[in-house]
Amino acid sequence: MTKYMKYVDVTKCDGCRACMVACKNWNDLPADPQDFQGSVQSHPKVSADTWNVMQYIEHENGKGDLEYLFRHSACFHCTDAACEKVCPENAISYTKYGTVVIDHDKCVGCGYCVQNCPFEVISLKEYVDKNGDKYRKSQKCTMCTDRLEEGLQPACVTTCHTGSLEFGEETAMLKKAEQRVQEIKGRFPNAQVYNPQGVGGTHTIYVLAEKPSVYGLPENPKVPTSAVVWKDYAQPIGKMMLGATTMALVGAFVTNNIISRKNKDQDGGQGHE
Amino acid sequence: MTNHWNDLQHTDCALIIGANPAENHVISFRWLTKARENGGKIISVDPRFTRTSSQADVYASLRSGTDIPFVGGMIKYALDNNLIHKEYVANYTNASFIVKEGYEFKDGLFSGYDEAKRSYDKTKWALESNPDGTPVKDMTLEHPRSVFQLMKKHYSRYDVDTVTAVTGTPKEDYLNVCKTFCATGKAGKSGTIMYAMGATQHTVGSQNVRIYAILQLLLGNIGIPGGGINAMRGESNVQGSTDFGLLYDNLTGYLASPKATVPEHATLAGYLAKETPVSGYWSNKPKFVVSLLKAWYGSNATKDNEFGYHFLPKGNKNYSHINLFKTMYDGGLDGAFFFGTNPVVGGPNAGKEKEALGKLKWLVAIDLWETESSAFWQKAAGSNPADIKTEVFLLPASASFEKEGSISNSSRWMQYRWKAIDSRGEARPDLDIIHELATKLKKLYAGSSKSADKPFLALDWNYGTGDVPDIDLVAKEINGYDLTTGKLLPGFGALKDDGTTSSGNWIYSGFYPEEGKNKSKNRDNKDTGGHHYLNWSFAWPMNRRIIYNRASADANGNPWSKEKAVIWWDSLQNKWVGNDVPDFKADTAPAAPGGTGAFMMNKDGVALLFAPTLNDGPFPEHYEPYESPMPNAFSSQEINPAITLFEGDFNKRGFKSDYPIVATTYRVSEHWQSGTMTRNQEWLSELAGHMFVEISEELAKEKGIKNKDKIVVTSARGEIEAYAMVTKRYKPFKVRGKQVHQIGMPWHFGFKGYATGATANRLTPHIGDANTMIPEYKAFLCDVRRA
Amino acid sequence: MVEINLNRRQFLKLSGATAVTLAVVELGFNEKKAYAQSKGFKIAKATVTPTICCFCGVGCGILVHTKDNTVVYTEGDPDNPINEGKLCSKGTTLRQLYTSEKRLTKPLYRAPGSDKWVEKDWNWMLDTIAKRTKETRDASFVETENGITVNKTEKIASLGGAALDNEETYLLSKLMRGLGVTYLEHQARI
Repeated sequence: MTKYMKYVDVTKCDGCRACMVACKNWNDLPADPQDFQGSVQSHPKVSADTWNVMQYIEHENGKGDLEYLFRHSACFHCTDAACEKVCPENAISYTKYGTVVIDHDKCVGCGYCVQNCPFEVISLKEYVDKNGDKYRKSQKCTMCTDRLEEGLQPACVTTCHTGSLEFGEETAMLKKAEQRVQEIKGRFPNAQVYNPQGVGGTHTIYVLAEKPSVYGLPENPKVPTSAVVWKDYAQPIGKMMLGATTMALVGAFVTNNIISRKNKDQDGGQGHE
Repeated sequence: MTNHWNDLQHTDCALIIGANPAENHVISFRWLTKARENGGKIISVDPRFTRTSSQADVYASLRSGTDIPFVGGMIKYALDNNLIHKEYVANYTNASFIVKEGYEFKDGLFSGYDEAKRSYDKTKWALESNPDGTPVKDMTLEHPRSVFQLMKKHYSRYDVDTVTAVTGTPKEDYLNVCKTFCATGKAGKSGTIMYAMGATQHTVGSQNVRIYAILQLLLGNIGIPGGGINAMRGESNVQGSTDFGLLYDNLTGYLASPKATVPEHATLAGYLAKETPVSGYWSNKPKFVVSLLKAWYGSNATKDNEFGYHFLPKGNKNYSHINLFKTMYDGGLDGAFFFGTNPVVGGPNAGKEKEALGKLKWLVAIDLWETESSAFWQKAAGSNPADIKTEVFLLPASASFEKEGSISNSSRWMQYRWKAIDSRGEARPDLDIIHELATKLKKLYAGSSKSADKPFLALDWNYGTGDVPDIDLVAKEINGYDLTTGKLLPGFGALKDDGTTSSGNWIYSGFYPEEGKNKSKNRDNKDTGGHHYLNWSFAWPMNRRIIYNRASADANGNPWSKEKAVIWWDSLQNKWVGNDVPDFKADTAPAAPGGTGAFMMNKDGVALLFAPTLNDGPFPEHYEPYESPMPNAFSSQEINPAITLFEGDFNKRGFKSDYPIVATTYRVSEHWQSGTMTRNQEWLSELAGHMFVEISEELAKEKGIKNKDKIVVTSARGEIEAYAMVTKRYKPFKVRGKQVHQIGMPWHFGFKGYATGATANRLTPHIGDANTMIPEYKAFLCDVRRA
Repeated sequence: MVEINLNRRQFLKLSGATAVTLAVVELGFNEKKAYAQSKGFKIAKATVTPTICCFCGVGCGILVHTKDNTVVYTEGDPDNPINEGKLCSKGTTLRQLYTSEKRLTKPLYRAPGSDKWVEKDWNWMLDTIAKRTKETRDASFVETENGITVNKTEKIASLGGAALDNEETYLLSKLMRGLGVTYLEHQARI
């Protein structure tokens, strides 16, 4: 099966944010107004109702020149996705396109995926049903998998006018990224492809103008070892032993004790600013 | 725009000055990105490092209000380094024309200045002509009174050191701009200048644009792919509404409104004689005027009554925005219609404009939303409703896709919009509202024999028998008819001045040449060559996509280069051919009389380096803004000597002693103009939800301001509170050895909608350009402090 | 708290789905078309109408998807050569011009000195406006000035219109001049 990926060339982006509203428009996401952020940036990071956020960074490069950098940030759709590994309800899965999606019928809102995402791109939101009862669901970018199924590209890619966002077959996108880095090395000596192998590579790859840390990205993110332990060993055993309904409690114990998103050194993250 | 959006991809260099297209004309960057991929360069000149600057190859900062020194210096650089396209200049501009003796320029003043009237006698700038009326020329361009030599002398004062000391641009950056852009003077290369309100909203706004045009003409950049002088329009149909004469001084198609103050305008014959040049395409003006009168007054326009010419109003003054609000403020207006406009946010010195509205007896606002202007009487506006006697009518209007009709973009492309859905609630299309109002007025006036009512009763108003007007009849009236046969006209070439043709707007004539063929509905997007897409929509005039494209070929009719060819003379077919519709008479050979008149709209067929028609001088000259932190380095004239000054509290002027900081206004991507259309939408309000003021780290430090602090900005007109956005993208200027700070802020906010905030225009002055009266929003003085 | 959109969840059924690649890009728009796709897909069975963006002067093409008397989606028109299906944030959200709860849906009248709007019907509004227009025009009309026929009123102003359609600007220009209005201005300066 052919794998696809979203290609994000931040050096072509002019920060117009059409991708942000295209996402809201397609996915019928409500507005999520924030306090003034001290820059043009609207949200500090993605949220349950805002699945991609444009980052604006004023960076002085090695020569002391000002670079005004932009980055479309959203779920990376990891090949080895920590969220998929830790989900106690198997609500998170990979699709044939390589995208990572949440099944909201199965999601119980435990939040382990949120805790374990090395990129902090999953969010939890509380909703109220018709009876006034509260419930929670995890939310994140779906890569518009519903559109992919109909042969349409993700909404953000469709609207992008500079060619900063593209969606295509994996090998072609990877090749394009490598070539682009070579083209822009003159202007951006630190330019690089961001496709971290610690998570098996991602289905959103970036051409970054600067080091990942400039964008607040982990230089070398990994699927937390504990998540692997949980998904591949503890969960199957646990399910046999306890039955699915109590798994959430066990999951809470396991994840909260073994895995700490904040403890980057232990889990392979570093230089996260 | 002389060129069009798709054509931007052909440029070798885009000089973006007085504009920020990456944020405000976003899709232009699709084509600029393509240009860069093709090896083109982008230059961004702006007081602030914008998102456009971030995409540029060269960025140069300049203090607001110093475009003329900046570009004047580039002209000098191009002349000094012999980078101009000399053959183009000699053939296609008035460089070779001789200016009459008596013209002089001394210490900032051109000859003929009357200090008391603050205006010039333009006859002192006349050109020499031969007995037959043709201009005296010196094709060697050596004559000391030739336009070329006078221009050279004028800009010899704009040396790099003086220029950069005034603009505050680092010298290295400035020279980089000069070198990069002037390289487009070579045949086979093209450069475009893209500008917007950052250029025009100054007391020297018209001359800012003039100086861009002069540079482009010297480099031979007009009329070729990837070239031109391109005004990026801010509203979807500000091009069309200007074309259709929604400005006091123009009827449709840029035909001057008759004036009570011009004695010749007392009769149609006098008006036509006065307004029609002897040569150039405008010599056809009587055909356009008479056909317009026939469209407006129908059978009531006859040869005997001068085709109804006297039904037209004749004004006696300048009725533009600032004057209009001054009159309203002084109680001189009783009623007003606002068609989707919001001056309480968008007007200059908006606090005074809000006060002015309370002097009206009645106000009709037609809009999709309740605006700050229609709600000016509310407590939230700072008003006491009981004190305001104005009767306000607020009519809900349809959104653009709830009705059908055409609009004209910056490229002059007239594109049709189809109706997608019935109007929300009881909203109605403006067309229906205007039509029903006209119909009701017609009924009220019906049967009157008063002479004052005659002009309105004579107005021809027949758009079908239904409740709503038939838009197709309106469209066809614009195109025009042969009144003898009743057939639609093929184009403005068929117009006559004897009352046998009609056309509501001559420049659009030809868009609807046959029944059922409204070309604004054309949707064939095949590239017909040169990325002109000739079968997509209709571009006025006559579907020409690059204006002045005759200048893409040399005097003999051969393209200056293969790379930048548009049209050329085909001697076998005896006509001009190419990938665009010739902006020229198709069968006039290069060797024929007028065969090299590439700028055929102008008298003598040439472009004007020397323009004796402007109010503030034949050459652009630098004057400081109305409010400036610096004395003028170029002359002892501080401000434009030809601008109108207002007395009294309608416009208070600030000085640097109280207000040492330069301020400017601008837009953000997510909001549009006064924000009415976008602050009432949740998603856009979420993205840009707060009023902010951008200030440099240096100024923030001086004032003890931290990022996200609330600050107060004051000017002589008022004060506002907003968030401080402390940024590296503003840097203090070094101007004539002194440090000058500049700040900037968006002007979208008001008290209605989802995203609310202080109105920047509370700070801006009521002072206008010497030619257009465009307010000087882009350079004024202020001070800032922590709230 | 916002009620979760349950419909959206249905779109996430991924296993074994077959791509019905009737992509929007493949449609021509010589006329409005409704196109059927798999049930539950957001723009399935929506009517698609091409329009031109109402914001800046670039003139981008936009497709308006309507279904059940509302606008369900707006996106770039891939056929329009100016934008080739691409849009900025404003163009992309055109949908909310229709759906915004802040849209005016009824004519509103504010009487002199009043502190509130009152709903009125269209006929009353236009009748009253026509009456006011006539009163002001008649009281202020000047037929001659220094012996020249001038036929004007300087007591009525008309502002705006830069977002109207050409046909509308034409009628407005014609009507105002027909009435003798000299204070005629739109947003070209501001």
